[in-house]
Amino acid sequence: MILASFWVNQSGSIWLFVKLILAFIVPLAIFYGIKDASPGVRRAIIGATFFLTGLVYVLYLIWPKPIHRQPNEIPQNFSESVGFFVSDTVPVAADVANIVATFLLGLGVFSVIKIHSEKLARRHRDWPFSLVLIGSMLLMVIFGYWNYYLKNYTPAGPSLGNPANWTFPSFAEDFLFNGLYQQMEAAMFSLIAFFILSAAYRAFRIRSIEATVLLGTALLLVLRTMTVVSQLWADAPFVRDHPNMQLESIAKWLPNTFQSSSIRGVDFGVGIGLLAMALRLWLSLEKQGQGA
Amino acid sequence: MNILIAADWGNQYTDTGWFGIFVTLTVCTFILVNIFRSNQRTAKGGQLYVRRIQGLNAIDEAVGRATEMGRPILMIPGISSLGPVVVQALNIFSYITRIAGKFATPILLCCADAATYTVAQETIRDVYQTEGIGDKFDQDSVRFISDRQFAFAAGVSGLILRDQVAAAFFMGDFYAESLIFAETANSVGAIQIASSTQTTQTPFFIASCDYVLIGDEFYAASAYLTRQPVLTGSLVGQDWSKIMVALLVICGALWTSFDLGIFHRNKTSIVKKDSQWQILPAPRRVKDSDTFMSHLFNPQSDPALQNTIHRETLPSLTTESGQ
Repeated sequence: MILASFWVNQSGSIWLFVKLILAFIVPLAIFYGIKDASPGVRRAIIGATFFLTGLVYVLYLIWPKPIHRQPNEIPQNFSESVGFFVSDTVPVAADVANIVATFLLGLGVFSVIKIHSEKLARRHRDWPFSLVLIGSMLLMVIFGYWNYYLKNYTPAGPSLGNPANWTFPSFAEDFLFNGLYQQMEAAMFSLIAFFILSAAYRAFRIRSIEATVLLGTALLLVLRTMTVVSQLWADAPFVRDHPNMQLESIAKWLPNTFQSSSIRGVDFGVGIGLLAMALRLWLSLEKQGQGA
Repeated sequence: MNILIAADWGNQYTDTGWFGIFVTLTVCTFILVNIFRSNQRTAKGGQLYVRRIQGLNAIDEAVGRATEMGRPILMIPGISSLGPVVVQALNIFSYITRIAGKFATPILLCCADAATYTVAQETIRDVYQTEGIGDKFDQDSVRFISDRQFAFAAGVSGLILRDQVAAAFFMGDFYAESLIFAETANSVGAIQIASSTQTTQTPFFIASCDYVLIGDEFYAASAYLTRQPVLTGSLVGQDWSKIMVALLVICGALWTSFDLGIFHRNKTSIVKKDSQWQILPAPRRVKDSDTFMSHLFNPQSDPALQNTIHRETLPSLTTESGQ
């Protein structure tokens, strides 16, 4: 039997079953190995896993990529074999990361339920909020899955795309998600407008030269949006002779030329810092939790 | 029939496709070389210099204030999923937790990502145990609030108001919720130290927080706080890389100016298309896209080259299995 790729096997083949069993046993073995190992060994296992997984992505960046690759194509030399293997491994590694993340989401939900159940049970301060949270969570899960079941596993499912055919679960889910949750999210977002005002008031108070420059710049940008002021400015004799001094031009020049160059400088620093951090993590040079 | 043209393999490197990888590897080399240098210097009893960062000096002051007031310290590692940014934030938070733990000051670490929550809980527990105060660790001090942006913002704002936090640390990737956190914490009189790798949010933090770490100061924090040789070495490597980038920018600007000529007056009779030079029917003015720097950062691929590849393929899996 010829294998097109390590990650692809024929349906019903022995290799497929062997790999499936290995895929089940190996992570369990690693899990129990980590659980019972001493901290030093645990760190070594985690470091090795980190390095191997990271290596796939590093090779994906620097190894020549297969060009114009066809399905079931045979690699012709070592370089191609590695290229094919790496290209096929990246989606698998991403899938594994997604599966682990899904398990962790369960832990997150467990944390929320645990904290708020305890609050409820012991009648801690503000326990009604916890009641609302747990109640909302349960309702959303019940109606979400109920509606999902109706849509996907019943004969009436396809017709539920049309609100005219909705039944109680569809209405309930729509009310909870679109009617309540989305509106509350929009309300939280709109609060930002008021917060911007209060933050701007504090920031623009003239306390220093920097604050004064900030105030002047902000003022120019605000005035630009006021048509009356823009027009009066444009009609000024000096501005008529120098179009570059129009409020519109200045307001564009500030963010496009003056600000973007500074932000790019900051972005370079952030990018290089991120790369350094990732490199330290990949090579297990970062002693997380003890480092700082 | 197998026809493999050697030049086809590695097509990603043709034209200037190698340049990005070269720069990345150079930065990695700078960092690793400096980590090695730093280790060597530490072994000889020396230390690399790290400049003063005001926002990080204020950490002790903020924790001290929370201790005096007997109110909790709030820490948020941004709302992005687990990655280098979050790990760096947790590094800083473990330092803060270490100081807070010594004085039994309560902490609150709120997460918007389940994976971050798990790692954060282990990190904070580890800090308490390392300090020999494992019994003081409160499991509920690290919380998963919600993975929805504004549900998280609402949850954290509620915590800030109910628990009247004395100090707030916002470190990591923040988006529109940054101002909600900062202004709510300001309303309860909390001292705030923030840093966002998102440059769009930094101005909001500057407007509303007491101290802000700008840009890569965020990544310098753990080196600054601990002076570990690996971290300080990495920091110097970053500085070397920044110098390289600055030189590239300066040289690039000069080179492009030279290519374009004064007032964009230079003319050209050849252009590069599909990684091949072609002669123009008549000379024309040089465009930005004709300059060397534009070619360097925008590699071209040759579609004709890709179409020359014909390799042997396996029979399809479905056909072979008879389905």
